[in-house]
Amino acid sequence: MTDIQNILRERAHALLDEGKIACFIGWGATRFNERAMPKFIFKAEESSSLVYNEHCLNTLAKYTLDFQYGAEKVGLATRGCEARAINRLIADGRLSRDKVYLLGIPCQGMLEHGKPADKCVFCRHRNPVVYDELLGEKTIELQNPPRFESVLELENKSDTERYDFWQKQFAKCIRCYACRNVCPACNCLECYTEQYRTGWQGKQANTLENSVFGFTRAYHIGDRCIECGECERICPMEIPLMKVNRKLVKDVEELFGVEESGLSEDEIHALGSYNKEDLEEFM
Amino acid sequence: MARAGVFICHCGSNIASVIDVEQVAKSAEQMTGVVYAATNKYACSISGQEMMKQAIIDHQLDRLVIASCTPRMHETTFRKMLGKTSVNPYMLEVANIREQCSWVHTDKEKATAKAIDLVRMSLAKVLKNQPLFTSSIPVCKKCLVIGGGIAGIQAALDIADGGYEVTLVEREPSLGGKMVMLDKTFPTLDCSACISTPKMAEVGAHPRIKLMSSCEVSAVSGYIGNFEVTIKQNPRYVDHDICTGCGLCEEKCPTKLKSSFDQGLGQRKAIYKLFPQAVPAKPVIDAQHCTKLTKDKCGVCAKVCPLGCINFADQESYTTDTFGAIILATGYQLIDWGSHYPEYGGGAYADVISGLQFERLVNASGPTEGKIKRPSDGAQPKSVAIIKCVGSRDVAKAHGYCSRACCMYAAKHAHQTIEKIAGAQVYIFYIDVRTPGKAYEEFYDRTREDGAVYIRGRVSKIYEENGKLICKGEDTLIGKQVTVEVDLVVLETAMEPAANSGQTAALAGVSADKDGWLTEAHPKLRPVETQSAGVFLCGTAQGPKDIPDTVAQASAAAAKVLGLLAKDELETSPMISAVDTSKCSGCRFCEQVCPVKAISMIDIPSIYNGQKVKRTVAQVNSGLCSGCGACSAACRTGCIDLLGFTNKQILEEVDALWQ
Repeated sequence: MTDIQNILRERAHALLDEGKIACFIGWGATRFNERAMPKFIFKAEESSSLVYNEHCLNTLAKYTLDFQYGAEKVGLATRGCEARAINRLIADGRLSRDKVYLLGIPCQGMLEHGKPADKCVFCRHRNPVVYDELLGEKTIELQNPPRFESVLELENKSDTERYDFWQKQFAKCIRCYACRNVCPACNCLECYTEQYRTGWQGKQANTLENSVFGFTRAYHIGDRCIECGECERICPMEIPLMKVNRKLVKDVEELFGVEESGLSEDEIHALGSYNKEDLEEFM
Repeated sequence: MARAGVFICHCGSNIASVIDVEQVAKSAEQMTGVVYAATNKYACSISGQEMMKQAIIDHQLDRLVIASCTPRMHETTFRKMLGKTSVNPYMLEVANIREQCSWVHTDKEKATAKAIDLVRMSLAKVLKNQPLFTSSIPVCKKCLVIGGGIAGIQAALDIADGGYEVTLVEREPSLGGKMVMLDKTFPTLDCSACISTPKMAEVGAHPRIKLMSSCEVSAVSGYIGNFEVTIKQNPRYVDHDICTGCGLCEEKCPTKLKSSFDQGLGQRKAIYKLFPQAVPAKPVIDAQHCTKLTKDKCGVCAKVCPLGCINFADQESYTTDTFGAIILATGYQLIDWGSHYPEYGGGAYADVISGLQFERLVNASGPTEGKIKRPSDGAQPKSVAIIKCVGSRDVAKAHGYCSRACCMYAAKHAHQTIEKIAGAQVYIFYIDVRTPGKAYEEFYDRTREDGAVYIRGRVSKIYEENGKLICKGEDTLIGKQVTVEVDLVVLETAMEPAANSGQTAALAGVSADKDGWLTEAHPKLRPVETQSAGVFLCGTAQGPKDIPDTVAQASAAAAKVLGLLAKDELETSPMISAVDTSKCSGCRFCEQVCPVKAISMIDIPSIYNGQKVKRTVAQVNSGLCSGCGACSAACRTGCIDLLGFTNKQILEEVDALWQ
């Protein structure tokens, strides 16, 4: 990892120095040893403050949106999750590929509270699926991590048990919208939750509408979730959001045959396309 | 403050016998926003409309709820009525208390309560209605007809005679389609070519018809009144602008091939006219078989052509044109019966032929000059078996539908055989005999009187024995096995949609049913329109039919097109999608789900993070949008609303149910 950190600093320095990018987004140190945080480098000489270690939990891709209309490119430290998030943003029409320069990083998985991070143990793409240059050798991918295990567990419960489970979970929600803010698929210019008097969901936090929010968000990203796990990681109330996201990922896979999202920038959205041959079993 | 009027229709006793309409009116009068409520015997009648118009004046109404039949029935009637008043035609909601209430309930009390609920919901919606205004789009006064069979020919002639420009696109090198292959037409037995070739010639010479043979439609965009169509010209290798059709090339060409026009029974050259009366009367080269094009040998045609028309380097080319209307007349083909019916030899026996092959055999200009000869040995058959419903009405093997024309041409084939071959024995195997047409039944009677033997039952097997074909089947009327020994078997095979007709129709936004027949907008009331406005259909593309029906439908489609092209401008429905660009992220979901390609993306100036930027947002083409609402449902931000059915209106409607 120190190797990658060194190359990362070197390359960020060079790219900024050559004027190829206006900013580089990577990670920087915090006052805690076991935490790293997003770091924005604007000057070549600041590159030495970039870090890359097993504590780089944040998926950085969404920050590129701040630069989408700039004249210059932005550089990005790009692991599997960032790469798929970049594809997500491009496929959703929010970013153009020529606005980003991707330094690909083969990832070994991160640590959270001293253990392999939840978001990393089910990862199927440790190597970036898109990059401009790859720093280091490709790493070996995890073979079929059991990502739907927790979904199956929920599926085996009765309707009432499931309902009670989610009502209990969403009762905790404080509607801080951190999950939405961090999610690369939640990239709307103006989220429906910010709209006043839509008629279907108010802005105040209350138990019933909390689950409306939670599930609506899940449906909004249902066929576009890249399984980066950022929502669950960021949730201050520890709501197991990936359980519902993975349920939808699994359903989309079973019903539409679309296995994973964010693997290419011109992917077809399973729920957002019109095809005359689509099954209409419910009709 | 809204001033809504509520009108409850009795619909004679249709509604009033189950629903207490006076009670509904009384309840409606108490609802917020309602200033007047009344009942009416027939709201749609002239007097009913007058009563509502008067109420609008007397009570200064600004919106209406009419509780009556389904809006599909009379919403347009009521909108037209409002067009003559001070109320905007779109400040109207129709509560369906007939189909969805009185017709399906018997309990008067509960039905009345439900009707009141339905009225309350419609009222909640109408209170959120906004006046909408139609806009107009110009009409390009030109029609594209796809398919040059009798349907396309008739439609093109009718429209051109009506004074408008027509482009007729035909995939084959000549007009004519299937009709020109036929010998005689039932029930009058007039010569098919003799009545269709004058029409073909008329098309070729018509000053307002542009005939494009060896062409295919490759792309369609745009909308009613303004379709942009790309037409592919397949290479002909003969310059038709110079060629006089002298026929020298065809005469000298050494390559002889089976003629597709003669259904493989006759021969043609590699440079050929489809048939002698072809329009255009000029040859084309069959690139697959021409030895110059395949092996770079020969080139005799180029040597003998006195005008130098032959161009072996001819390439396909594309042209784009604008049309106001499109007619799909893509026609049919016959089922490849061999692959469906191995028990009939699957094509192994030369003397088991299709009905269309028989047409060529019996045709005076066909390969045998009208003499019925067995393809195997050229002998005159003394006995013929005609088998109907081969591929039709046979769900297990091919198609479930009836091909409609076979009963009649089977009778015709029997008649022709008996007429041409003295003492010939004809057996017709049938399931039913269907003769619903003018003078059809009489023709069938005559055939039986001629001596044709009708046997009710399917043939289960055909095999060859001692130079004879043995047909085994069951006579279901006497419940016994029958075996007939014949010299020739004619299979009256099923019609199928022409190859690629579905793809061509899909280009114009027209769908096909499970069998591939193109779908009309309404099977009874809009038989030649499609769900795609400005696109019409006729002939066998829509379903199996005979020549009289095809021609009638072609003229019907032409009448519809003439009605459309006669307008300078078209009114478009204002109930279409509208984008709130301030919220649109440009994610393109709406573009992808739109079934009519009405949504495109556009860059608009915007402010983002204090910067002046160009932002990509969705825009709706009002000519194309059909108001289905798919985009509105797909939009995560909720920035697309369907005017007349806004999210707000629908939520108010739903909320009203709980009050």
